[in-house]
Formats: sequence, structure tokens, C-alpha cells
Amino acid sequence: MSGGSASFRKVLQFRELPILVYLAVMIAVFSIAVGGFFSFKNFENISRQISTVGIVSIGMTLIILTGGIDLSVGAILSFAINIGGLGIVAGWPIWIAYPFMLVLGLVLGWLNGFLITRIAVPALIITLGTMNIYRGIIMVITKGRYITPIPKVYEAIGSGYIPFVFLAVILAVFIYVSLNTRFGRNLFAIGGGEQSAVYSGVPVRRYKMIVYTISGVLSALAGMILVGKSAFIQPQAGLGYEMSAIAAVVIGGTSIFGGSGSVLGTFLGSVLMGLILAGLTMLAVNPYWQGLITGVLIILAIALDTVRQLRH
Amino acid sequence: MIAIENVSKAFPGVLALDGVSFTIRDAAVHGLVGENGAGKSTLIKILSGIYPDYEGAIRFDGTVRRFAAVHEAQAGGVATIFQELTVIRELSVAENIFLGREPVRPGGRLDWKAMWTSSREVLSFLDAPLDPRALVRTLSVANQQLVEICKALVLNSKVIIMDEPTSSLTEHEVRQLFALIRRLKQRGITVLYVSHKIEEIFAICDTVTVLRDGRHIGTVDRQDTSPDQVISMMVGRSLSMLFPERQARRGELLLSVRGAGREGEFRDVSFDLHEGEILGFAGLIGAGRTELARALFGATALSAGEISLHGQAIGRFRHPSRALARGVAYLSEDRKREGLMLEASIRENMSLAVLRRVSRWLFLRRRRERELVDSYITRFKIKMTSVDQLVESLSGGNQQKVVISKLLMTEARVFIFDEPTRGIDVGAKYEIYKIMNDLTAEGRGILFISSELPEVLGVSDRILCMREGLLVREFTRAEANPEAVMRVLTGGNAA
Repeated sequence: MSGGSASFRKVLQFRELPILVYLAVMIAVFSIAVGGFFSFKNFENISRQISTVGIVSIGMTLIILTGGIDLSVGAILSFAINIGGLGIVAGWPIWIAYPFMLVLGLVLGWLNGFLITRIAVPALIITLGTMNIYRGIIMVITKGRYITPIPKVYEAIGSGYIPFVFLAVILAVFIYVSLNTRFGRNLFAIGGGEQSAVYSGVPVRRYKMIVYTISGVLSALAGMILVGKSAFIQPQAGLGYEMSAIAAVVIGGTSIFGGSGSVLGTFLGSVLMGLILAGLTMLAVNPYWQGLITGVLIILAIALDTVRQLRH
Repeated sequence: MIAIENVSKAFPGVLALDGVSFTIRDAAVHGLVGENGAGKSTLIKILSGIYPDYEGAIRFDGTVRRFAAVHEAQAGGVATIFQELTVIRELSVAENIFLGREPVRPGGRLDWKAMWTSSREVLSFLDAPLDPRALVRTLSVANQQLVEICKALVLNSKVIIMDEPTSSLTEHEVRQLFALIRRLKQRGITVLYVSHKIEEIFAICDTVTVLRDGRHIGTVDRQDTSPDQVISMMVGRSLSMLFPERQARRGELLLSVRGAGREGEFRDVSFDLHEGEILGFAGLIGAGRTELARALFGATALSAGEISLHGQAIGRFRHPSRALARGVAYLSEDRKREGLMLEASIRENMSLAVLRRVSRWLFLRRRRERELVDSYITRFKIKMTSVDQLVESLSGGNQQKVVISKLLMTEARVFIFDEPTRGIDVGAKYEIYKIMNDLTAEGRGILFISSELPEVLGVSDRILCMREGLLVREFTRAEANPEAVMRVLTGGNAA
């Protein structure tokens, strides 16, 4: 058989193909069904909505590529802004409050990595534990109260296109890092065969610590944007982010067992989920249906990926 | 009697079996040999009901039967014991034997007594003193295999197919297995024994069928043939010997180990490795050879002992990366788990240990990586369609060449090869031995661990015998003969 079929096969092997097909179908369906869906204003709106979970999902992708998982991302987000929020209301300047929140994210992420690499317990269990610990500390310290009012300067990061710009820059950086650096290549190696990686001299522990730390920092950053968008801080911030992030990663074609996947796919997964939620809202579908539809989407995405793998 | 008549099976782009016909006598041990890709696995899968879709016919005692699923084949009296055992490690022997057809009492309660009694019957039928209540994970691989055979027997199987049954057994366990096969034969059961180990075929089979490139080359009685003849049927050319000629040129002292020990695994191990030398480690499984290798490499920690390289004391390695940085590389016996990333490409696998060298700063230089990978693919004649092909889809021999390339790229001086030829065919083995010769000709040294005695004796310059965690004796190549070495390994006499 000739070049035609070979290039066809190449298209089929393109990792992000299924998700691109979904995206195209969804945009087409909603554009026909909903007046005003295919508009600049709506896309701007969606871009703002997906940016916080989108940033968290990128950190999650790096972790899942190594064969790990982090259930505590939403808790870290909340921890960073609630504890940081105490500084804000105490009148700290923004150039201290922002770095402080990022450092909180870094420390909690690092702690996850530290525990995961020292204790022979799966990351799922460790981060289930730290999720509860981090959220518990927030409740103890804030006593469940909202932090408000937040000074206007903190709203800049959440206004207009700025959240999406943050997402886009982080996306670009991590697409590049995952594909073109030793660090990125080693993440795939760890997920693809951890023992093989150890025996090839890859410092597996160090790289795992790094991915959990990056994820912690990105979660804190997403929290800062969230504060900017909502202008108050609540203890429950980021609730359920871990599941949305894992969904975006999986819908984007990354293997939940690690070793294969892409940062770009995760971004497309976040976009797809954002489009669907926006479309359903505009169609005035009861929000209670949205969870169900996300669930169906996850299973469909995996099914399509399995079919694709069987074919080659 | 099983008559295989003109069986063909095609996959997209490959004719895996091409008009194969031969017959298998009742109550006989029938060997099926051929290199990887010869069609052995395809034929087994057809007989065991995994591939119902094929051309031609198979007659069992005159009647044509076509099994559409594994359980149909089992019901028809054909049971298959695959290379990867299917026992469930966390269940007991009896539960495994009766898995999926547990005897129950009225009301659905498990009839444990019946299970234990019948298990004991089957076990004693094979003269196997195993406790039906023992957990399978506490058994040796050989005994786990025995449990699989019991599973086949309670199905009233007339034919048992064994696919490379000795690939993870020691010489001693192989002998136990052969005794077992002889008992099966005495009790009227037909065994189709699939292997690429010629010595085994000649030790146990009554008849041998050779496949090559999907075609039936011949079926001969053991008395009427010779290993050389079977090998030449397999490879289509005559391999005058199984091992390439070797000229040892022993150079300077490379690696020196003194008093190495690790709690519960091995102790007081001292030896020297010189440039250009292949130092063989013979032993039964559990003798501590792999444990020693891992600890030397820094994958686990030595609890006692000193390592020196080129006469310079360096203590112990704390992580494999330290060992690699000092020029010590380890080829694991477990290629799939500890050597490869199966779902990654040839390129990604090969360059993993030298990413630093193909990067500038933190950034990969793909062209440099590609050139390096290509040079090794050419050097080792790795058969592939593209460097981006997943290693999962390569044959065992080619996979092993990928791992060896990866280690070679690190420019190590000392190689620890742990069972490098496990599960690969005769032709590929020969190539691995040649690679080992080339490495030593360049002045590198190899610690060669193997459970196949002929191989250790055929390739090594010196042979160290390990038993129960101790080095018990050293043989030179000239002194070593299989009987003497085996006596030492099994503790017959440790003179």
C-alpha cells in the first residue's frame, strides 16, 4: 500500500486526534443549537472559566505522566489563598502576599512529594490523606469564615484576558518542557517503567519531588487567579478541582497509568469541558445534568483511546 | 492422535502459518521447535482456542474439531500452560486448581473438603508433596507451574501444551519438571512441548517438529536425528557450534570486590574482574547471584564489603546512577520490568541513560539523539520499521539488543549481564554472545550470570560457582565440565 495509507495511519496515531474530533463536533453542535454560542464574547467567557482548573490540570498532567496522582491540588489551592488571605487582610503589600502564597503551594506540594517518595504507600492514598490534612488546617485556622474584603489590587490578575494569558504561557512552557528537555523525557520514562528508569540511572525520587512541587505552585497560582475573579476568599475554594483536573488529563488522552500522554491534550480536555458546561448553561440545561455529562465524556474519551490503540 | 492438516493462518502483512501438516501421537512427548517468528505461538493459540479463525483442519482421533474459545478447548481435552503463568498468587493451591469450577454444596457454599481432597488426589497423581492450603505465592516458580498442570489435570485433559515451560526454572527445577512430564506420559497424557532449547528437546521429547517462517520443515523421531540436524533445520543453515569462537585476552585489573555481603542474601563474596574477561556466575535460583549483582550496582545496598575500580577504592554505590557514572552497567534478568519502557519507542528507550550527552543544558538535541541511536541500530542489526516503533512490538532478541545498546551508550567498562539470553531464540542468542565477545575485545569486562549451564561454560573465561549465598568454587574454562559444575552447585561435593 502506498503513501496515502501511511499518512492516514500517521493521522490516526496523532495523540490529540480524538479530543480534536470531540471539540469540533461540540462546537458545531452548540453553534447550531445555541444562538450566540459562536461569538467572541462567549469564547472570552469560556476562556476565563477554564483558566484556573486549566492551570491545575497542567501540574496534574506532569504527575500522572510519572504514574502518580495528586488528590490534594484543590486543598493546596485553598490553603494558599486562605492562609495568604490572612496576610492580605492584615495589610501585607501585594509583593509579599503573592510570593507568600506561591511558597505555601511549593511547600505543600514538596511535602506531598516527600511523603510519596519516602513511604511505600501509593500516591493516591498519601494525597487523599494530605488533602484532608490541608483542608482540616484551613478550617481550624479560618474557623470556616470567608475572608473579605479583598483590596482592589488583587483583582487585576483575575480580570479580562489575564487569567487566560497565564494559562497560555504556562501551557506553552510545559509543552516545551515535556517534549524537549531531559526533565520531560524522564517523566515519561518514570511512568513507562519506573524500575527501568532507576536502572538507567534516572534519579526517580528527585524528579517525583519536582513534579509534586510544581503542581503545588501551579495550584497556588490558580488560587490567586480565583481570588482575583471572585474578590473574596472562602475556605471551600477549589473543592472538586482535583476531579476536574484528573478528568481534563484523562479526556486529553493521557494514560492514567502514566508513561504516555501530552500537556496539549490536557489543555484541549479543559477546553472541551469548558465548552460543554457553557453550552449546557446557555441551553438552560439544569446544572444537575452537568456532572452526568462529564462522566459520560470521560468514559467515551477512554473508549475512543482504547480503540485507537487497538488499531495500531 | 491429533492430526494437523494443512493449517494456515494469516495476519495483516504476514503469513504466520503456511500449510502446516503433521501428527501428534497419543501418550507421547512431542517437541515443537523453531526460532521466534517461526509460527510456534500461532499454532499453540490455534490449538488452545485463542485463534478460532484459520484455514485447514485439526482432527482429534479422527474427528475435526475447531475450538472457538479457551474453555471449549479445555472441554475438548486440550489444556495449555503458557509461558506467563496464570496462577493467582494470593489464592491457595486448591483454590487455584479449581478456579472457576469450585465444587459447591447446596445453597452455594464452597465445598472446601471436596476441594482439598480432590487437590490431594491430583497432587499425589503427580507425586507432588504440596499442601493444598498453601498460598501459591509462597511456592517456587517450578511448583507454581505444577499447580497449573494440576489445573489441567482436573479438567481431564488428554493433551497438555507447554509453552517454554523452563524459561524461568533452574537446571534443578528443569529436571523435576522432566520427571513430571515422564509421569504424565506414563499416565497416557500427550504433551506438546514448545521450546527453543535444543538440549531440552533432546532430553525429553520422543518426536520433534521443526517450524521455520511459518512452514513445516520436518517431523522426526528423536532416535533418528541429532541436535546439529535440528538446529540446521531451525535456522536453515548449519551452525557448526552454538557458541562463537572466543579468544580471551586478559588485561589489567578492572573491578575488585572484597568481602561483599548483604543480610540474608549472600556473604563474604570476593572476586576480581580483568579487562577483556567474561567471568561467569553459575548457580541455582536463590543462590544469591542476582542479589549480588543488584547490590554491586547500587540498586540495593551492600551491608558489607568494598568495591574498587581500576585499583581505586570506591566503597559502595548508593544509587544506580552512581554506578553508571563510574562505568558500571547492569542488564537485568527482568527485561520487561527493569530494562525497558515497553510502550515507549526504540529511540526513547535507547537514549534514556545518556540524555545528558544528547542535551545541551537542560534541552534535548534531537538530531544528536537520532544519530547516536541510528549508529547502534546499524551496529547491532536491530530489525525494526522505524526508530519510533514501540519496543513492545519487537522480538525478544531485538528488545534485548535495545537494552544492551542503552547500556553501551553509557560507555561503561564493567557490564553485569544477568540472564541476557532468557526467552530469546537460538540465532539471537548467538548474536548476544558475539556482542559479549566484541565488548571484551575492546577491553571491557563482563560479569555473566546465567542459569543455563551450557551457556555459562560455553561463553565464560572463568566460572564462579555460587551456592546459598557463598562463592564455593572457581573453575577455569578448561577445567569446567557440566557434571562437575552441577555437582558443586547442588552441593553434591564441594571439593
